[in-house]
Amino acid sequence: MVNNEVFVNSHIDPAWAWSEFQPSDATPWNIRTAAHLYRRAGFGATKPQLTTAVEAGPIATAEVILNETQEPADYLVEMASLANSGLATGNPKQLSAWWAYRMLSTPAQLLEKTTLFWHGHFATSAEKVQDIELMLAQNNLLRKFALGNFAGLLQEISRDPAMLIYLDSATNRKAHPNENFAREIMELFCLGEGNYTEQDIRELARCFTGWEVKRHRFRFNRYQHDTTSKTILGKSGDFGGEEGVQIVVSQDSAAEFIVTKLVNFFVMDEPWPTSELVAPLAKELRENEMQIAPVVRRIMTSNLFYSPHAVGRKVRSPVEFAIGFLRTLEGSTNTFELSETMETLGQGLLYPPSVKGWDGGRTWINSSTLLGRSNLIQHLLNNNKTRFGRTSLPEFLSSANARSIDEIIELFEDCLFAVPVPSAAKDRIRQLAGNQQDPRQLNEAVHALCTLPEFQLC
Amino acid sequence: MLINPSTRRQFLTTAAASSVMTFGGTVPAFLRQAAAEGRDDGRILVVVEMAGGNDGLNTVVPYDNDAYRKARPKLAIPKSDVLTIKDGLGLNPALSGFADLLQDGRLTIVQGVGYPNPNRSHFESMDIWHTCQRKEDNRIDGWLGRYLAETTATDFSDPAALHIGEDQQPFALMSRDIRVSSIRSLDQFRLEGNDSKQFRQVVKELSDARRESGNDLLGFVQSSTSSAISASDRIEAAGMTYKPSSEYPDNGLAQKLKVVAKLVNSGLTTPFYYVRIDGFDTHSQQAAAHQSLLRQVSDSVTAFLNDMIAHGHGDRVLCLCFSEFGRRVNENASEGTDHGTAGPIFLAGQQVKPGLIGKHPSLSDLKDGDLQHHTDFRQVYATVLEHWLKCDSTSVLGKSYKTLPLIG
Repeated sequence: MVNNEVFVNSHIDPAWAWSEFQPSDATPWNIRTAAHLYRRAGFGATKPQLTTAVEAGPIATAEVILNETQEPADYLVEMASLANSGLATGNPKQLSAWWAYRMLSTPAQLLEKTTLFWHGHFATSAEKVQDIELMLAQNNLLRKFALGNFAGLLQEISRDPAMLIYLDSATNRKAHPNENFAREIMELFCLGEGNYTEQDIRELARCFTGWEVKRHRFRFNRYQHDTTSKTILGKSGDFGGEEGVQIVVSQDSAAEFIVTKLVNFFVMDEPWPTSELVAPLAKELRENEMQIAPVVRRIMTSNLFYSPHAVGRKVRSPVEFAIGFLRTLEGSTNTFELSETMETLGQGLLYPPSVKGWDGGRTWINSSTLLGRSNLIQHLLNNNKTRFGRTSLPEFLSSANARSIDEIIELFEDCLFAVPVPSAAKDRIRQLAGNQQDPRQLNEAVHALCTLPEFQLC
Repeated sequence: MLINPSTRRQFLTTAAASSVMTFGGTVPAFLRQAAAEGRDDGRILVVVEMAGGNDGLNTVVPYDNDAYRKARPKLAIPKSDVLTIKDGLGLNPALSGFADLLQDGRLTIVQGVGYPNPNRSHFESMDIWHTCQRKEDNRIDGWLGRYLAETTATDFSDPAALHIGEDQQPFALMSRDIRVSSIRSLDQFRLEGNDSKQFRQVVKELSDARRESGNDLLGFVQSSTSSAISASDRIEAAGMTYKPSSEYPDNGLAQKLKVVAKLVNSGLTTPFYYVRIDGFDTHSQQAAAHQSLLRQVSDSVTAFLNDMIAHGHGDRVLCLCFSEFGRRVNENASEGTDHGTAGPIFLAGQQVKPGLIGKHPSLSDLKDGDLQHHTDFRQVYATVLEHWLKCDSTSVLGKSYKTLPLIG
């Protein structure tokens, strides 16, 4: 392991950061770096997947992940039919469970992970929208554009009924332009504070007059649209909403804002990426006309991504924690209960806490959420609805050639730990496992392993 | 309004350093939290939300008033039943706990509290109380959330605020930057492990060990895990040894407050607790239902406060009981009352200035058949912020409000 000390507070050279990763003695390409890639690009991979990745190499594996973003037709049919049975209940929590199931089962992990990124970015809560169909429509929209064109996504989200209802913008009359959506588009969705004025917000709000949600659908009410001239971010004209969005997304700061959030999401919680660091990616995003996939590719094949600035430098979100644990061990469980638990841990799918989404990083952690995380593992291990590789945990581990406690610890460390398990911890966990004749002792050892502080990082 | 994180951290480091220094090496955890907030007292605020619109007129009763008796032919509470506070005013007979607190100097009742242009929708009015803003103000956070965003250090491991209950998290606690936890029961502070002593021992030992990794995030998670497990131990131990010194009644609110008492007593540093009791929307057959609800509030808060006092936390705790509006002066045809306006707020604790604050709202000067408020609820908040939490209320409330003589 490289001594991380030297990297703390050191300046990161952007040219080095975004150059293509070349494995070296200090940062080799092995099962643990491959696991890092899969944890960040998705939720995690099984040991056989990682073994394949090690042989393929880092760039080829990233390509595989990037090319796997189209689910097979029969999988899509299954997902649509499950979503429909969720819709029939009218309970948006069924949809949360559906999404958790999709995250557990999808062959296109990067697509799902990026959809989750956009859900946090364009945060909309079913708590307020109270309409399961609109929540599903938005979720499908986010997935459709997840690795596509950001400008296109922003146009679509601006007309998305769930979003407009969430931001109290389901009616927008010319006599009283609603500034809420215009404000969030500039502040939270596209530019960030400091890159616009209050006057810009008022002018953009006028572009959106006449945009309404009627009977669950977006519609343009031309009688309520303000057709007079507006001046937004230095441009003047009789703009409509679509032109207004286009002006905002064409700002240089838009690319920088989005890239910064992507780097924070895929690379590191701390420190917040500097302008200087993200500048080359922002330039690339603009040159690619706001296509997201090339930037994500660049991030996942970069020196920075595999450096000590990145590895183990994120706190697992509740979703990464739970889905990651299960996916890595080919686990399946009752995802309704699982998504309820993820909500008590601070990340309810389709229930973000505010329009700002989840802050992530250290804010995931407090005494009640940490205990809840440990208890979640305990519940999964002792729940007869949880299966690992369609069987019990001991049988699954045994089929994965992890029979002794040392082999089990190694499997976990390889696949699930971003930072090494301290040797003192291994000793104590070995003692807990005893002679392993009793499956309860194995559960206890696994539970203890997944309660280690190291397990919270990814 | 919001301090940016780095400035906030700087401010807090200075404040914490200066006040903690005086305690030497062993600083109780709650004092460290208080110091991080620029205080040194470990003060706690417990908010009790009485949801549905509490009938203030039948809570603090103007029993001698002809207009009252005329407006409430079926529901008026007679002089013989009220618990007299002073000439012409008495408490609903269900409020015997509050009457005792009042006598012991531990309760203050602020009368005629409301806000201009009252909204009679439960949701809208509740949101106004929670955020101090109207619908058109683009509300994103609550008053306590704003306080937390300005004062809470991100490095503290106990939750900045706890909402006890299965209901929706209160808007009052929301902020863009600070997440608070909702817990349904104490089980969420219990580390589960097949009740194995060995498991607990291993987990405790492994989380207590400091990591020499140079990874700040790992250091943070390690110390948080260590605190979490020690909180779990403390709460569990408190659960075994902790004997409530007063009998908690058998109702949901009391059970929630008992959870709060256990958490406070176990040394959790969380300074805010939020609990809710629903059902005050008494449109029909009000009398029995309303009495039962008031009894639950009064008995539960009294039991909680006495318990806290007996365990030595009396000077640290303040309870604030409020409702989103009062009810109409005239009863309706179903022996109930409809949505109204001004009503009383209760503050309970050893540090309150006891008694009645402000006049009973006039029954002769009504507006559209409703009582008119004379005290803005934000004055009560400002008082709590300035005199209890010792902070500048203007930035939290968006405006300066005149404080009231309620505390100290």
